[in-house]
Amino acid sequence: MKFITLLTTIVVAGWLALPAQAAESDQLKSDLVGQCMGGREKCWKFQSVDQIKELVIKNKTEDARKRVYTVALQLQASNANAKYAAEARVEYTKTGGAWKIKQVGLLSMKKIE
Amino acid sequence: MNAKRVVGAPLLALLLWGCKTPKQPALGEPLFDLTSDQQAQFLAGKKVFQRVFEPKDGLGPLFNGNSCAECHETPVLGGVGDEVEVHATRFSAPNDCDPLFHEGGPVIQQDATPLLRALGIEKEQIPPSATGQAHRSTPPVFGFGLVDAIPERTLLSHEDPHDANGDGIYGRANRTIDGRVGRFGRKAAVATLLEFNAGAFPQEMGVTTPLSPVEETINGKPVPPETDPAPDPEITMEDVENVTSFTRFLAPPPQQLLTNSADKYLAARGKKLFASLKCAVCHVPVMKTGPSAIKSIHCKQVALYSDLLLHAMGAELADICLAQAHPSEFRTEMLMGLRFREKFLHDGSAKTVQEAIERHDGEARRSRDKFKVLSERDKKALLKFLETI
Repeated sequence: MKFITLLTTIVVAGWLALPAQAAESDQLKSDLVGQCMGGREKCWKFQSVDQIKELVIKNKTEDARKRVYTVALQLQASNANAKYAAEARVEYTKTGGAWKIKQVGLLSMKKIE
Repeated sequence: MNAKRVVGAPLLALLLWGCKTPKQPALGEPLFDLTSDQQAQFLAGKKVFQRVFEPKDGLGPLFNGNSCAECHETPVLGGVGDEVEVHATRFSAPNDCDPLFHEGGPVIQQDATPLLRALGIEKEQIPPSATGQAHRSTPPVFGFGLVDAIPERTLLSHEDPHDANGDGIYGRANRTIDGRVGRFGRKAAVATLLEFNAGAFPQEMGVTTPLSPVEETINGKPVPPETDPAPDPEITMEDVENVTSFTRFLAPPPQQLLTNSADKYLAARGKKLFASLKCAVCHVPVMKTGPSAIKSIHCKQVALYSDLLLHAMGAELADICLAQAHPSEFRTEMLMGLRFREKFLHDGSAKTVQEAIERHDGEARRSRDKFKVLSERDKKALLKFLETI
């Protein structure tokens, strides 16, 4: 009986957490628009949410002033066939009580299609 | 009579003033009309541009040069250098280009710090999956701020991807991997001056930045931690922005003013030939910058002598693909400051301007052939004109 209660709690908690994580991913996607990472030919400027085909949060750290995500991305420009897999470090700072994106660092990139 | 003199004198003065050649900043100097803040940014950026990195400051472990100035040095800071880089990518016809980021491409670093050399690694290797490799000479960066400020629509207005006018010259904009119009680099695969500079630190010097906070790999393998003693990022965003201010405010090369009347006549004849041979279709003499909050960049003419578009240049010059550029396509080289260069073409393999012209092919074949049959005097005239820009 205890086992069933525990299992149910885990499933319900996970089910409740999913929308929260999706909302966090959507917020990240929206915040990335206008940001630039990398340089020269290995550079991505996020021009629209549509370019981000996939965003998975791999890690998150936070203190009172700074929040840092490591995210895995799949990126594709609307006017190009090529698709890229990238990993990025997204740093936020707390300004006036609100989290604001500070900069995005490109950790790795690979053409996948 | 007196009344005529009264009117005539100011008129004559006005005419003389109108004929006076506009003052130009000397080579290596900043644009006119910078505010004191902008002058300070130019000077701060100049310092970063000259900063010599050592391994303890972040150099390497793989690199091509230890400072911006090492390659951009002749005849003054911001000019050319004698270094030749190696690039490699993978092209699959008809249109697929892989920059081989995951295998160390497209810039294949040619030098290593002592810590990496101690492990037996002296440089990066051409990735086995590369289908092409290329050599690249150092471009001068004079006037790049003005080039950066030319509106995208101006570039696109010169496109003729289907050769609608039937002159054999096409021209299309390259697009960066994220889909924007490119303009910097020999294949126009970089959209902005900031991105051009930000990428130079990790790719040329092995110096990490907040935008690229991890080291470039060694052909896809992470660098051994013991060879990379400096904490990342190895420079600040302010450094990257200051270097960008230095290159943004660096004035274009001044036009060469000829004093000898025979030379003036020859150059004027050469200018006409430059147009009649249709060199000017791709090497567009002048473009105008768009509106800018920076007075010295706002709506200025820049004599870049390029359309910043891709043109097929024939099989002999073909090397690598980059973004949407095919191996045989190159961005029209900017000719401003041509007289300060010592070697020519994208790889520095032409020893003279004439050799570079004679090696044009593809879309430039008709112009090249017309040049080849010019009289010696007309060839001299065209080359004299090119010495003035």
